[in-house]
Amino acid sequence: MNTLIIGPTGSGKTYFANKMYRFALTKEIVVKKGFTTFNCADYAHNPQLLMSHLFGYVKGAFTGANEDKDGLIQEADGGMLFLDEVHRLPPEGQEMIFYFMDHGTYSRLGETAKTHHADVRLICATTEDPESALLQTFVRRIPVTIQLPAFAQRSAREKLQLLQRLLTLEANRIHKNIRLSEDVVQALLGSVTYGNVGQLKSNVQLVCAQGFLNSMQNKDEIKLRFDQLPPNIKDGLSHLANNRQELGKLTRLLEPMMLIKPNFKRGMPEIDSYELPYNLYEIIGDKAALLKDEGLDQASINNFIMTDINLHLKSFYRQGKLDKTVNSLGEIVDREIIDLTKEIQQFLREKENYPVRESFIYAMSLHISSFIKRIQSGKPLRNMSTDLVSMVHDYPGELQIAGKIKKIVEEHYRFPIPQSEVYYMAILLASLRSEPKTGKVGIVVAAHGNSTASSMAQVVSQLLSVDNIAAYDMPLEMSPKVALDGIAAQVKNVNRGNGVLLLVDMGSLSTFSSKLSKKTNTHVKTIDMVTTAMVLEAARKTALIDSSLEIVYRELREFAGYSRTLGKTQTENEHGAAALATQKSKAIIAICSTGEGTAKKIKELLDKILIDNLIDDITVITVSVVGMKEKITEVQRKFQIVAATGVVKPELTVPFVSLENLLQGGGESFVSLIEQINDRSLNSPYSLEQSELLTEKTVQKYLGQYFTFINPVKITKVLWDYCNFIQQHSVVTMSNAFKISLIMHLGGAIERHLTRSEMSVDEQRLSEIKTDKMYSIIKQANEFLNRTLNITLSDAETYYIVALFDTEKKKSNTLQK
Amino acid sequence: MTMEVQLLRIDSRLLHGQVATNWAKALNIDRILVVSDRVAQDVMRKVLITQAAPPGIKANVITVEKMIRIYQDLRFFSLKPMVLVEDPIDAKRLVEGGIKVETINIGAVSFDNSRVMVTDTVAVSPEDVKALKWLHERGIRLDVRKVSSDNPKNLWKSLVEKGLVKKA
Repeated sequence: MNTLIIGPTGSGKTYFANKMYRFALTKEIVVKKGFTTFNCADYAHNPQLLMSHLFGYVKGAFTGANEDKDGLIQEADGGMLFLDEVHRLPPEGQEMIFYFMDHGTYSRLGETAKTHHADVRLICATTEDPESALLQTFVRRIPVTIQLPAFAQRSAREKLQLLQRLLTLEANRIHKNIRLSEDVVQALLGSVTYGNVGQLKSNVQLVCAQGFLNSMQNKDEIKLRFDQLPPNIKDGLSHLANNRQELGKLTRLLEPMMLIKPNFKRGMPEIDSYELPYNLYEIIGDKAALLKDEGLDQASINNFIMTDINLHLKSFYRQGKLDKTVNSLGEIVDREIIDLTKEIQQFLREKENYPVRESFIYAMSLHISSFIKRIQSGKPLRNMSTDLVSMVHDYPGELQIAGKIKKIVEEHYRFPIPQSEVYYMAILLASLRSEPKTGKVGIVVAAHGNSTASSMAQVVSQLLSVDNIAAYDMPLEMSPKVALDGIAAQVKNVNRGNGVLLLVDMGSLSTFSSKLSKKTNTHVKTIDMVTTAMVLEAARKTALIDSSLEIVYRELREFAGYSRTLGKTQTENEHGAAALATQKSKAIIAICSTGEGTAKKIKELLDKILIDNLIDDITVITVSVVGMKEKITEVQRKFQIVAATGVVKPELTVPFVSLENLLQGGGESFVSLIEQINDRSLNSPYSLEQSELLTEKTVQKYLGQYFTFINPVKITKVLWDYCNFIQQHSVVTMSNAFKISLIMHLGGAIERHLTRSEMSVDEQRLSEIKTDKMYSIIKQANEFLNRTLNITLSDAETYYIVALFDTEKKKSNTLQK
Repeated sequence: MTMEVQLLRIDSRLLHGQVATNWAKALNIDRILVVSDRVAQDVMRKVLITQAAPPGIKANVITVEKMIRIYQDLRFFSLKPMVLVEDPIDAKRLVEGGIKVETINIGAVSFDNSRVMVTDTVAVSPEDVKALKWLHERGIRLDVRKVSSDNPKNLWKSLVEKGLVKKA
């Protein structure tokens, strides 16, 4: 039967489809040996081409159709056709496919009658919600829908099995055992973020390649050691540590050492998009031998090759990611210009040996797009101010390169580009290059208690999406010696070469500074009496790459919470300037080379997001790189700048989001961050998921506030147990926020029962819900209420409880996207 | 041109559980605006409320002043929101501020020592009664319903029956 597979990026949709085909083959369901794959995203920018690939065409159907051609559907006759990213199929394509599903016939492009016949089993896959991304008529015709879970949703046991399986694949490849310690396993599992199993696979390959290199002398096995892992994978451990529950489950399943042996029964790797197109291990072996012949010592050989491996895997792994970003850029800039910019990027890299970063494509294509439009519309040329000329004077190299880019653009468009544009381009190049490369100041939060530090760090890193914070929890019985070692490990973890700020809860810990500095060879400064607000402020200050440890330390010592700073600054050296600033209206500045084309587009984008977030009191102001400092000072006279975005980062202590990030949908979180930072109520940033005691108290408070008859002191525990019962008997994990809302709902249900004003629901809905998985579990939980309180909830009330779970589930599904 | 408020609802728990989902489905709304000066200052409740929003619909917590401000603002006119307030007093402030509705839906107003119960879910204080009277005098229907499928009940009638207001 035709099937639709839904699951996030890298969750194994292709793998699953492959397995389905294998199965069908062994059962002799498909006659012909054929599994055809088509990725609808490949031609998404050209629907016509996509359709012609899929259905074929007749001679003369469009320009260039010189002969009749069969499509993939015909090719797959008798076999299976796998349509990946099916949501990229245009609606008319979906219609043709579902006609084909119904009748087994279709027409090629340029034909009117649907006369062609093919017997094809369709497997479609999508990362999107089929309800919104696909035609309903299309979805309805697919009888089987399979939802693959995101990696994070899988159980600890499953995650571990997946890892073992992936490691076995690598062991098969190198014919050696792989030995890895507990913390490596944890780091690998924790390193999976948005990319799911596919990402895990890439990471496993990376560390195995590294282990292979380090254990080249050992014929039988390779060892993976935590201290040798690349930093992004090491971070996985702290990721995982932030989720204590998950870590606990996992630890119970783990032995201190894991040994993976080659096992050919578990199969050789199959071809998929996460598979490297060459044998990495052979390359490593050859290269190592070569370097050894040249007389290099082992350490430098390792160094050399590791850089290489990283490069290989990165360039390979990034591919998918980059395509996506270019796509979203494609909504703003013409495809033609993006391609031209790519050409320029390649030219600069290869011919000019000029370093270009990832942001180049964004900044440059937006820039070219705006001046081409300007020239085409016949608007007057931008004049060259003396500012501009004197600024370019400082960058003779960039001016020269800009001249060459000008030629490429001129050749492409066949009209002359004015000299002034060359100057602007030079400035753009210079500003793209000048971004500092040193790392941020790291932050370690250490506090007594089982989760105090980690929950503070978690709140802040989520709020600001920063990665330079680590936490160290110290249960009260922990010895200072252990604590020191633990903190030292975290200090190393977040050190990016610019020192680490240690935030502690008690004075006794502040004496650690000098010991830690010695132990870790890192500059460490300690501040005590840590609060979430302080961590937040520290994260904000260190987010500026060029801020130094000393400055952040000094400023934080003066920090006394958001609520008080406002009053205090008036008496401080700023003489009320800050107080005045809060009365000025707020602004975000958008910086681009000219302050016109690109920045205007950014402004439109931000305005849209601001409106969507109901923010009416922030203005977006565009600023040119030329004379940026002066312009910013001018803006500051009238406005309070709350954030910045654009091609360069201005020297301001406000959040900054890069162009790439903004265009990839980062704008949304950027704006909410600004909102939160500017919101003074944040002086009590609050972690809901912090502790059980707290939420139980909160529940009690709210129950008392909103209900009339029930006794919150007595009922809280009962309802809390009700939640726990459901949690134990189902696969649902409840966030504390959901728990609170469920308990409040239950409180309402009980009170409605007592006042005989139960809710109603129509029969049809009621019978529908009885097949829901949650229904029987909730029935059992209700039974528990009956035993303790002698209260029986009606079916209608049960319906609403089930519906509550259903909504929550749907919501977490949409969030996954 | 102003935004079209699809439903103005009084509920002391504001946005919660199935109620929101039910109304959102029954009406053509694309946004939930929770209007309360108190909640706008309370991070915890803000989080709880925004998390209770049904899938696909965004909820914002804003102050009464801001609600009135954006209601008049052309940039936001395409919104079709459901507006939630905690008590009749805030509802009155919104209507005073220019927000146009024909009906106000009343879900539940919880009891406290300043209030008396008038229906099984609605409690009112003397100030609430004043506000409700003010709204009634402007021809606004006061419709008591938890979810859209409930039988509508007229709050004004209940107030009259309880002797809290004189028949008018």
